[in-house]
Amino acid sequence: MKKTLNAYSKQGRAARIAFFLCGGAFVVAAPFLFAFSPYVLNMFMQAATYSIVVLGMVVVLGYAGQINLAQATFFGFGAYAVALGTVTLGLNFWLTLVLGIGIAALAGLVLGMTTLRLGGHYLAMITISFQQIFDLVTVNWAEVTQGPDGVAGIERPVLFGVPLDDDRAFLALSLFILMLAAGFVWWLPRTRLGRAMRAVRENEMAAEVTGVHTLRVKVIAFTMSAALAGLGGGFYAVGFAYISPDNFNFARSIEFLTMTLLGGAQSAFGGILGSGLLILLPEWLRFLKEVYLAVYGLAVILIMVFLPAGIWGLVRHVLDRWRKQVVVDEASIPDLNLDVRVADRSPILTLQSVRKYFGGVKAIDGVSLEVHRGTVHALIGPNGSGKTTTLNVLNGIYKPTDGELRFDGVDITAITPHARAGMGIGRTFQNIRLFPNMSVLENVMVGAQRANNNIGRTSDALRQQALSALKFVGISDKAELIAHNLPYGHQRLVEIARALAGHPRFLLLDEPAAGLNQTEKRELGELLKRLRGHGLTVFLIEHDIGLIEQVSDRITVLNFGKNIAEGTPAEVLRNPDVIAAYLGEANHATT
Amino acid sequence: MPLLELHNVHSAYGHVKALRGVTMSVNEGEIVTLLGANGAGKSTTLRSISRLASVTDGEIVFDGKPLARVKAEHIVRMGIAHVPEGRRIFPGLTVRENIMIGTCGRGRLARSRMDTEIEEMFSIFPDLRRLSDAYGWSLSGGQQQMLAVARGLMSNPRLLLLDEPSLGLAPIIVQQLFATIRAIRERGATILLVEQNAHMALSVADRGYVLSTGQLTVEGTPDQLQDNEEVRAAYLGGTHHA
Repeated sequence: MKKTLNAYSKQGRAARIAFFLCGGAFVVAAPFLFAFSPYVLNMFMQAATYSIVVLGMVVVLGYAGQINLAQATFFGFGAYAVALGTVTLGLNFWLTLVLGIGIAALAGLVLGMTTLRLGGHYLAMITISFQQIFDLVTVNWAEVTQGPDGVAGIERPVLFGVPLDDDRAFLALSLFILMLAAGFVWWLPRTRLGRAMRAVRENEMAAEVTGVHTLRVKVIAFTMSAALAGLGGGFYAVGFAYISPDNFNFARSIEFLTMTLLGGAQSAFGGILGSGLLILLPEWLRFLKEVYLAVYGLAVILIMVFLPAGIWGLVRHVLDRWRKQVVVDEASIPDLNLDVRVADRSPILTLQSVRKYFGGVKAIDGVSLEVHRGTVHALIGPNGSGKTTTLNVLNGIYKPTDGELRFDGVDITAITPHARAGMGIGRTFQNIRLFPNMSVLENVMVGAQRANNNIGRTSDALRQQALSALKFVGISDKAELIAHNLPYGHQRLVEIARALAGHPRFLLLDEPAAGLNQTEKRELGELLKRLRGHGLTVFLIEHDIGLIEQVSDRITVLNFGKNIAEGTPAEVLRNPDVIAAYLGEANHATT
Repeated sequence: MPLLELHNVHSAYGHVKALRGVTMSVNEGEIVTLLGANGAGKSTTLRSISRLASVTDGEIVFDGKPLARVKAEHIVRMGIAHVPEGRRIFPGLTVRENIMIGTCGRGRLARSRMDTEIEEMFSIFPDLRRLSDAYGWSLSGGQQQMLAVARGLMSNPRLLLLDEPSLGLAPIIVQQLFATIRAIRERGATILLVEQNAHMALSVADRGYVLSTGQLTVEGTPDQLQDNEEVRAAYLGGTHHA
């Protein structure tokens, strides 16, 4: 039987949820099913709480791609809130747990909002500093935190009138919470938010331009991660009845990071696997005595070197082989709705003497132009004449040094790229910027989920819109492939589909024909004409004169960052200045 | 004896087969072009020669030596230079440094020799002379493409693998580039050229092959290929170009 993509994903989802529920129920019941020694129960307690914290790392590092070297701090916020709340203040455990999660999340939010603009090694440095400050405070502010002695005598809570003093019962509760957290983290990547996080990890600039509010997504990921750490911390404090500052120091943060990478940062199961393994490994290696630490270190290094995607990456690889080939039923995909109402031919975009300087380099130096509604307008010029810079100013990647941009009557000079995407400005890149490790379908779904895209909010609507966009460019049969496995020319089409799925009014294309052969170029030309037929305005940079002649209504020529000519193809391509600077004599002879 | 021979070469990415038995040869001093649709395996053919893609079956022989036994990093020293598509230049190095990197496989070069050769590159791509102290990242896409080609030429290869060198270049630069390709051949280099601009490619090539889903389907001189209906329809954009 042929499986269509929709049927497959629904059926697959149901099977996966059923499998997860059965597995989860078994894990939660495990403390009662097996006769574990108190020592083993303790170890499981540690593994369960650490896993919750590591799940947070999966969200922030694995999904959103942001480094966090202070996870033990957020773990500590949760643990200290419960410890001090119940012991010093005599509050109810559940209240302090919620408080702890809240404080951790708030700390994550504040730290995230102030530092996530930086990214990379700056973010790493700042999280390390934050970790050091937390260390100093917990050790030295002894009146409140009880200093290096730590907080002892943390009591087990009561749940529905049942005291959880039995280690097995409390472990079962912790495991239950872990399963809830794992379920959440497992489900997250398939949501709008999760997809946006992964898009940020894969290519932040492309995500922003496609309409993802990248800063907000990163802050949310950071906050979620901190909240999960706080949750794990609360259970840790109660589970062990005693905490001290050395449970929450920098070494612990590194341990969480190692667990995340070891298990596989991009999967909830990987996170749990990594935590479990790193807690159990020392036990298994205990017989080695003196050389134990060396062997432990070596084992961790070997796993990281040979399994860069973590242990779960290996499992994943094996599972993927069993995955059935999916056949997309192209006939069942509805046609893409691209219609844009064109009331008149007034300019949709106006540039008023726009300049962009990089230090002393005048990349564009006073460009003024108007793009009229429902037309195809080409921008040509020698390499380095400022074409791509113009495009980058148009969709907000660069702020112009001077000048004004108006889109549909609105001054957009100071508006962020994702907000411009939300106004209906779509874009493709010269050196293709896909989300390489996501499927073709997911790439296009990110485009469909831009703000103000009037297609409904359900994931089915997004999927439908993405499939329609892929069908429009003629590669819907590739929907389930991983984007980076596609040949260059098809990757270009995925980028166009991603832009079209956002139902743009105005489409910016940077060398769309590069890497296409003559036949494919002609097809692209037809596609651009179809877009114009739907009322879209297309603004493109291109070097293929054949294509430009075929599609453009108007051409603007740039040289050294200034317009040197503008007009219809017939006028511009015969302009002697344009021939001298750009076309060359040979082309002039043939056209 | 041909300089380069491929015997029944197979290659795959994961379980997606990219090449399914490619047999072809390139003679010393020839320009040979590979035509084909996107995904046909053109780039993979080049990548399998320079060992960037794994060869699962078959044999590649360069200058009488099977390449399977050569370490990937020694491929350049044997005289094979690969200019991949997609402008992989070093963004943190200057244009001049990027060009100089191209000579790494040739051992130490005398300063004067280096300067002469860099000057040669600048005469081919005058834009690069103007930008010689600019960092790679600050170049426009087309300028980066020129730089990648120049770097490949600096290794003074016996066999140059060019993957879509005209990508993103202004028409006037494309004309210069193809003039350069001819000039390089005059100097004795052998070139295997992948190019979407089939007209241009056939105008400089001695022979051409057509790849289709990982297999060679047509072979011949540029004239023969241009007369082939199938080739015209698929890669030359119909029949109106004579």
